[in-house]
Amino acid sequence: MSAFLSYLVSGVAVGCGFALIGSGLVMIHCVTRVVNLSQGMYAVVAGLSATTLLGWGLPHGIAELGAVSVAALAGALTGLVATSRRATTPQSALIITFGLAIFAYAVEVVIWGDQPRSFPGLPGAIEIAGVRIQRQYLLVVAATGIVFLVLDLFLERTYLGKELRACSSNPYAARVVGINVKRMGLFAFALGGALGGVAGVLLGPLRPISFDSDVALVVDGFAAAILGGLTRPLVALAGGLLLGIAESMVAGYANASYQTEVALLLMLAVMVGQGARRAAVHMETS
Amino acid sequence: MNRPRVHRAVTGVAVTIATLVLPAILRGSALSSYVLLELAAIVTVGVSLLMGCAGQVSLGQGAFYACGAYAAALLATHGCPTVLGLLAAPVVAALLAVVIGIPLLTLRGHHLAFATLAMQIICLSFVGRMPVAGGDIGLQGIPRFAVASLELGGDRDYAYLAWGALALVVVTTHNVIASRPGRALRALASSEVAAESSGVPVGRYKLIVFALAGAFAGLAGGIYAFFIGYVAPGSFPVLLSFEYVVMAVVGGLGTISGALLGAAAVTLVVQVLNQLATLPGMPSYAPSVLSYAAYSALLILAVLFLPEGLTAKLRPK
Repeated sequence: MSAFLSYLVSGVAVGCGFALIGSGLVMIHCVTRVVNLSQGMYAVVAGLSATTLLGWGLPHGIAELGAVSVAALAGALTGLVATSRRATTPQSALIITFGLAIFAYAVEVVIWGDQPRSFPGLPGAIEIAGVRIQRQYLLVVAATGIVFLVLDLFLERTYLGKELRACSSNPYAARVVGINVKRMGLFAFALGGALGGVAGVLLGPLRPISFDSDVALVVDGFAAAILGGLTRPLVALAGGLLLGIAESMVAGYANASYQTEVALLLMLAVMVGQGARRAAVHMETS
Repeated sequence: MNRPRVHRAVTGVAVTIATLVLPAILRGSALSSYVLLELAAIVTVGVSLLMGCAGQVSLGQGAFYACGAYAAALLATHGCPTVLGLLAAPVVAALLAVVIGIPLLTLRGHHLAFATLAMQIICLSFVGRMPVAGGDIGLQGIPRFAVASLELGGDRDYAYLAWGALALVVVTTHNVIASRPGRALRALASSEVAAESSGVPVGRYKLIVFALAGAFAGLAGGIYAFFIGYVAPGSFPVLLSFEYVVMAVVGGLGTISGALLGAAAVTLVVQVLNQLATLPGMPSYAPSVLSYAAYSALLILAVLFLPEGLTAKLRPK
C-alpha cells in the first residue's frame, strides 16, 4: 500500500510536468495553429539556466524565475522565426520548430556541455500515512496547481487573455475587431515557453536534464495535450496526470524501461481513436 | 523535341557518368562518405515521395532504415547467404511499414508527424531490449556482402552496390510518379476528400507509398549493415530521421532530382563543417555542435526562403 502511494505521488508530480509542457503546446496551437515541436526545449533551457543562475549564487526562487524568463524569451524567438513570414503554413512551421529544437542543441552544448546536469530542489521529506514523500514532489504539485489557476483566471478574466481566446476561436473575426493576431501569436509562444520553463525548473531537481532530454519531454507533453485535442489546457492537466501515474505504475510494478513505450502507445491509441471518430471533411476545413 | 527535355536528358546522362566515375577517384574517408551519401539519397527519395507527392510527414524514417539493417545483419550473422539478407531488408522494412501504417495513416498532419516520431522511439527501445539483436551493444561481425564467390571487400565495391540500389530506387520512383497512381497520389496530397470522391482509393494508396518509402529505407539500411559491419540502436538516433527530412526539404519535395540534390548538398555542407571542426585547436564538442547547427539552419532557411527547394531555383526558366 505504501509502495502504491509513493508511486502515485511521484507519478502525479511527473505528470504535472507533462501537463505544463502540454498546456504550452495547447496555448500555442490554439492561437497560431502551429504544433510546436520545440516545446520540450524550453524545459531543457530553463532547467539548464537554473543550474547556471544558482551557480552564480542567486537565491532559490529568483534563479528559477530568471530561468523561466529565459525560456519565455526562447519561446518568443521560436514564434518570431516560425510565424513571422506570411507564406509559412502551420505544416511548414511545425518543421521549422523541429529545426529550432535541434538548433538549440548546438547552443546548449556550447553553453552547458553535453553531460546531464541537475540542481538541488526543496530538501527533505515529510511523512504522510506512513509514506515518506520528498518535499520537492509537493512543491511541483502545488506550483502546477497555482500556475493552472492563474492561467485560467488570466484567460477568463483579463483583457489580454480574452484577446488570446478570441484569436483562437476565430482569427479573422479577431482581426476585424482590431486585435493584432500576429502579436498575440508571439505572445502565445512566449507564454508557451514560460509554461515549458516552469516544467523544466520543477522537474530539474527530480531528474537530471541534458540537452537531448527535450524529445522525451515534448512527446510526453504532446501525449498529455492530445487527450483534449490540443484545444483545452485543463484537459492537458488531466492527460498529464493520467500519463504520469501510468508511467510511474509501470515503472514501479513492471519494469522501468517500459515506461516510455507505455506513454507513447497510450498517445498513439488516443490519436488513432480520435482520428477514427473525426470525419476527414471536418479535419480539412478546420 | 522541346528544350527543357533535352536539357534534362543531358543533365541526367552527365550526373550518371559523374556519379559512376567518382568512386574511382575518391580515396579513404571521402569514399566512405560517398557511400553514406548514396545510402542517404536512397532514403531521401522515399521521404520526398511520401512528403511531396503523397503529403504525409514522416519523422520516423530512421526506424525503417534500422529495421532493414537489423534484418540483413540478423540473417547474415546466422549463416544465411548475404544476398538473402540484402533482399530481406527492404521486404521486412516494407512489412513493418504496412503493419505500422494501417493504424497510423488514419492520422494526418502533426498527428502523423508525432506518431511516426513515437514509432521510431518505440522501435529503437524494443530493439535495444531484444537479446537476439544484441541489446544495446548491437550486432557485430556482420560478414561482407558476397554474391556466389565474389566478395565485396573494399569501399569502392560498396559505392557501386549503393549506386545500383539508388538507380533502382530512382527508376521505381520515376515510374510511380509518372503513373496513374502517381497522379492519384498528388491529388490526395492536396485534398483527400476531393481525391476520394473522384474514386481514388486514398487509404490503400497512402499505405502503398508508406510501404514503398519504408522499403527504400530498408534497402539502404541493409547495405549500411554490410558496409559498416556493425549495427546497434545507437547507430539510428532520432536525428537520423531528421537528416532525411532536411535533405528532402532542402532539395525540394516531390521530385527525384530534389531528393538527390538535397542529399548531396546537405552531405557536402556537413562534411566541410566536419573538416573544419576537427582542425587542431577546435574544442572537442565542435563536430556535434556544428552538425546540429548546420542541419537545423539548412532546414529552417530552406523552409522559410526556398519552399520549393533548390531544384526550383536551378531549373531553367
